[in-house]
Amino acid sequence: MRVELTEMLWFEEHVVSLSELAELTGLPAATLEELVSSGAIEPIDAAAGEPRFGAVALSAARHARRLREDFDLDTQALPLVMGLLERIDALEQQLRSLRARSPGRRSVP
Amino acid sequence: MKYKDYYAILGLERGATDDAIKKAYRRLARKYHPDVSKEANAEEKFKEVAEAYQTLKDDDKRKAYDALGSHPAGQEFQPPPDWQQQWASSGAQRPGGQPPGGESSFSSEGFEGLDLSDLFERLRGGGGRGGRGGARASMPGEDYEIAVPITVADAYGGTEIDLDLNMPEYDAQGQLRRVPHAFKARIPKGATDGQRLRVPGKGGKGFNGGRNGDLYLNISLRPHALYRANGHDLYLDLPLAPWEAVLGTSVEVPTPGGAVRLKVPAGTQAGQHLRLPRRGLPKPKGEPGDLYAVVLIVVPSVLDDAQRALYRQLEENSTFQPRAHFSEEGSYAS
Repeated sequence: MRVELTEMLWFEEHVVSLSELAELTGLPAATLEELVSSGAIEPIDAAAGEPRFGAVALSAARHARRLREDFDLDTQALPLVMGLLERIDALEQQLRSLRARSPGRRSVP
Repeated sequence: MKYKDYYAILGLERGATDDAIKKAYRRLARKYHPDVSKEANAEEKFKEVAEAYQTLKDDDKRKAYDALGSHPAGQEFQPPPDWQQQWASSGAQRPGGQPPGGESSFSSEGFEGLDLSDLFERLRGGGGRGGRGGARASMPGEDYEIAVPITVADAYGGTEIDLDLNMPEYDAQGQLRRVPHAFKARIPKGATDGQRLRVPGKGGKGFNGGRNGDLYLNISLRPHALYRANGHDLYLDLPLAPWEAVLGTSVEVPTPGGAVRLKVPAGTQAGQHLRLPRRGLPKPKGEPGDLYAVVLIVVPSVLDDAQRALYRQLEENSTFQPRAHFSEEGSYAS
């Protein structure tokens, strides 16, 4: 058994093209384009010629692939589900932030 | 090899119809899918359910599974002697299903060290996740995602974690084996809740020239007795006695980097946030987060006579009206 020390990459620094995104996630390029046009996956710089995708998009695309496969979602339902899950994420983030800011409920002596 | 009862996992009888299998899967996916579920162990549960469904939804795989016979779940068992000829290699002879090395899909020494799911991974058909069921000449390795809970101290100073992954892999003879991969991974300082790290090439091994999969680490922060994290900022409750809040004081405050002095200005109110710049968690790039002391004003529950007398005196002397705004022109009046 080989033991080695592996360096991590910051996930945030990974930038890919649409075809690389398709290869990385196993989603067909057409489905990815659909997700991009619905706003479920956003390129880093929408104005640029060839769209480039960052970590958030990669994460969203992998997520989309899982949802599509595991729930048999079609092209209409997939962006909808993605959008709702994104809202839940944002709300949970807000909740975490509020909890962190407000004093704990631990009783004080 | 340990037997898994795929029917029982889906809550079904052995003779269940395809429709019933699909329905059971949908119900359980809705309940346990890690993306939509808040159940404890959702991920583990869903893996079982998905594995059972991948096998049972596919006609050939289901027949092959049924041919293993029925055993108590978790019991060690061997597939019947002719099972491999009948199922494993017949799957391999289908178009595009040529096994990488030879006729048989599994090593001759048997099924030692394999997981039941590995057996069906090699059968052509509905395919596993991403359709990487062994049908293509070259295929990329599977990406893996694992949850990595770390402590505030780990996030502050970075840490090394030991990963011990056990992945199915084809050896040089084209035989499927479970290969343990143990390696240390360095979590750089600044990793915090909700962040993801990518370890390139450390996922499932690519087959026949396919690229190796990646490993993704989903970082979460374990709860800490004192600090609450919000991104790279930390929040700490700072209880003050009434006179400390009124008169101001200087207090020692713990931070992940060691205790520091914090000046509490006179007239500090409960709920106020006193900021200690750059005393939060470090970021991979740029200034570290801040630490905020959240002021609580706490009162003693036991007073002796002298103390009570002092409070009485204060009460008599003070003109402070904490609820003056109650009687101001309110929103109802106008």
